[in-house]
Amino acid sequence: MIGNIRKLLAASLALLASIMLVLSASSPALAQGKTLTVRFYDDPAGFDPANIFRIENENLAFNIFSGLTTYDGETGEIIPDLATSWETTDNKTWTFKLREGVTFHKDYGDFTAADVIYSFNRVKDPATASPYASELSGIASMEAPDPYTLIIELDAPNGNFLHTVANYHQGQIVSQKAIEDAGDQVRWQPIGTGPYYLDSIDVSSQIVLKRHEGYYKGPAPIETIVFNIIKDEATATIALRNGEVDLVMRSNKEENLEVLEAEGFTMNSVKDYAVVIGVLNPEFEPFANSLVRKAMAHAVDYASITQAISPSLTQPHNSMLLPWMDVYTDDIPTYEYDPEKAKALLVEAGYPDGFTFKNLGTSAQGVTELQQFQIDFLSQVGINMEMELVDTPTFNQRRNAGEFDMASRLLPAVNPDMILFSFLHPDNMVPNGLNGARYDNPEVTTLLETARAEPDKEEAFEMYKKVQQIVAEEAAYLPTYSNNVFWPGKSEVTGVHINYLAQVNFYDVDIAE
Amino acid sequence: MAEYTAKKLVQMLITVLGVITLVFFTLRLIPGDAASAMAGDTLSGEALQALRDQMGLDEPLLNQYLGFLRDLVTVDLGETITTRISIAELLLRALPITLSIALATIFLSIAISIPLGTLAAFMAHKGRNWLDNGLTGAAMIIDLMPSFWMALVLLLIFSLGLGWFPASGQLNWSDPWALTLRLALPVIVLSLSQVATLARITRTAVLEVLNEDYVRTARSLGWSELRVLFRHALKNAALPIATVVGLSFGNLLGGTVIVEFIFTIPGVGNLLIAGINSRDYQLVQTLIVFYALLFVVINFATDLIYKTLDPRVQF
Repeated sequence: MIGNIRKLLAASLALLASIMLVLSASSPALAQGKTLTVRFYDDPAGFDPANIFRIENENLAFNIFSGLTTYDGETGEIIPDLATSWETTDNKTWTFKLREGVTFHKDYGDFTAADVIYSFNRVKDPATASPYASELSGIASMEAPDPYTLIIELDAPNGNFLHTVANYHQGQIVSQKAIEDAGDQVRWQPIGTGPYYLDSIDVSSQIVLKRHEGYYKGPAPIETIVFNIIKDEATATIALRNGEVDLVMRSNKEENLEVLEAEGFTMNSVKDYAVVIGVLNPEFEPFANSLVRKAMAHAVDYASITQAISPSLTQPHNSMLLPWMDVYTDDIPTYEYDPEKAKALLVEAGYPDGFTFKNLGTSAQGVTELQQFQIDFLSQVGINMEMELVDTPTFNQRRNAGEFDMASRLLPAVNPDMILFSFLHPDNMVPNGLNGARYDNPEVTTLLETARAEPDKEEAFEMYKKVQQIVAEEAAYLPTYSNNVFWPGKSEVTGVHINYLAQVNFYDVDIAE
Repeated sequence: MAEYTAKKLVQMLITVLGVITLVFFTLRLIPGDAASAMAGDTLSGEALQALRDQMGLDEPLLNQYLGFLRDLVTVDLGETITTRISIAELLLRALPITLSIALATIFLSIAISIPLGTLAAFMAHKGRNWLDNGLTGAAMIIDLMPSFWMALVLLLIFSLGLGWFPASGQLNWSDPWALTLRLALPVIVLSLSQVATLARITRTAVLEVLNEDYVRTARSLGWSELRVLFRHALKNAALPIATVVGLSFGNLLGGTVIVEFIFTIPGVGNLLIAGINSRDYQLVQTLIVFYALLFVVINFATDLIYKTLDPRVQF
């Protein structure tokens, strides 16, 4: 018997040793030069701009690809990228002058107007199954009179077209040859013109970017960026404090932020990144009544809640748009915390004894502290909020289908026109789109359509302003709070400017000696 | 023995087929699919449908099921739905990592728990119960601590506080020392609960044997206590211990899922979590079948070892 066990032991050890030997041959060796190590928080799902989804993947794509325009890292404004200039007289015909001398990664040649036409057509092609096809669907034709001039004709005027062609999803420019060479592995072989190229990837452990020596602004200061995949928040915080990583891509826990701030790490952040809104389904009878919706808005004190739960990560907010957006206005009706008024509104609406509704949430998050407060505040005016917890994919599915009394949504988009159109236009009513409140107000619909076509910025602004006022007056959606994004890092790491897409242009990042 | 082995093999096959069927259909009963998991906050309507078509989610269920069986028989694990990476490739990368952790844990726990349990039994036999009580108490406390919590506490103490072990980083197979440091904490977390269980089982089994006639005979022959304990008592107590080691290997595979997540180790457990989160049916069902196979094979091996250890055992 002892002999058998001994044999088993020896065999297992031999197996282990041989496994280690095989794997040792494939370990990567890092090159010389400045190296930045960044925490990446999930398994990468690929970097094909036409099909990219999750924000952490978008962050890499943002540095690998370029668009005709991009967002300034510090101000968030639209600035030239592959297009050096553009002109339009009617928001319908857009003429772009393209940058010369731009090269694709890995010897994929020079960038020209043909690449833009190919990239946009690829997104529009149903065979690509790009979720962003609709964003480019307004393009009627594209032509290139010479390799560095591009004329885009739209079906209808769109004053926000520069957002559409920015360095984001559908706007990122790919190389036809690279796409064809990669076949069905496009998402893992991204070739762009950005400051960094994808050097190697181990899907469940590490991604390595190397600087593009031929980048049109010159090579980036950091030669190698290593993204270590660390999913657990607490582990990521320890890794930064241990010096295992230089920068943490997104830290989402208030307590971790407090610890890191106290220890002197740089708390790189962007404020008002996105709004969280409550979506009330009017098929649930009380919510069809705007007095009830207003009562809901008056009943909860979001200022105290955000202050109590996560003062760094959130602040109360009462609009669907954010202050940094070019058509934002704060000249709208607001709903201060006033439980007495809420009760009075409920009586007026015909619900003197309140009512009970279900709030759809994910079991992954459980009942959050915020929701516990909401339950408590609402109960004080007689409204009984019950939580209905389902897992994330179910949550997404039901939310998209509009099967809920109340659900919440994050509105992350730099293009305010897109937010308003998606949530207020009847064409986008669930399940066709994001308009979960089934909002349909002909006046707002007309204003939205006219504003989009209006070439005069001042006049367009007046229309967007009117839309925001009407929507707030009717309490179509319930804005609750806006959130902030943090990338804590070592103090030597400079130039981490998080834009309003929660992305960082690593071209600006450096490590002080 | 041959007939016994054949009978067991057939049983194994039926079990695995049952697991495959159950997993396949249960996965699809859960609402939400890979497309809606990816959809997040912005995708809906036609775009979502296009994605669903592209992922092959709208194929009739029976076709999908038969396709999956065919793939398994031809050992073609296919690609994940969401990332289009070969599952065989993912598994081949992740498997050595998870197995290393599991085997290291098993060796470490056996090396600690069997002498410890034997000693506790011996002391108890002699009427000195402090080690026995201490062991039972410690085992109870460890069993009460969730492993994700224990993992974080150990990280705080040994990684952040003392700086002995890294909390993250690549698994560097060419540097055995770095690799050992990287895997030490997960192995310790898993071993703690294994040791707690195994030591108690060993202690009970050995204590029972110590009261048997042949042990008394051995003692009366004037053999040393150690010789009596390890040559006679432990050898006869090996049967229940072997069973528990086999079973605990199965539990261990479950435990690795959690420690791999916390210590960010790219093993099979991490793959499984990622697959579940993204509703990647192909990945999840393949991994579960793999776990089931492993479990069944380990049970089979345990049965064979059992029979080898004690030929009197009838099935």
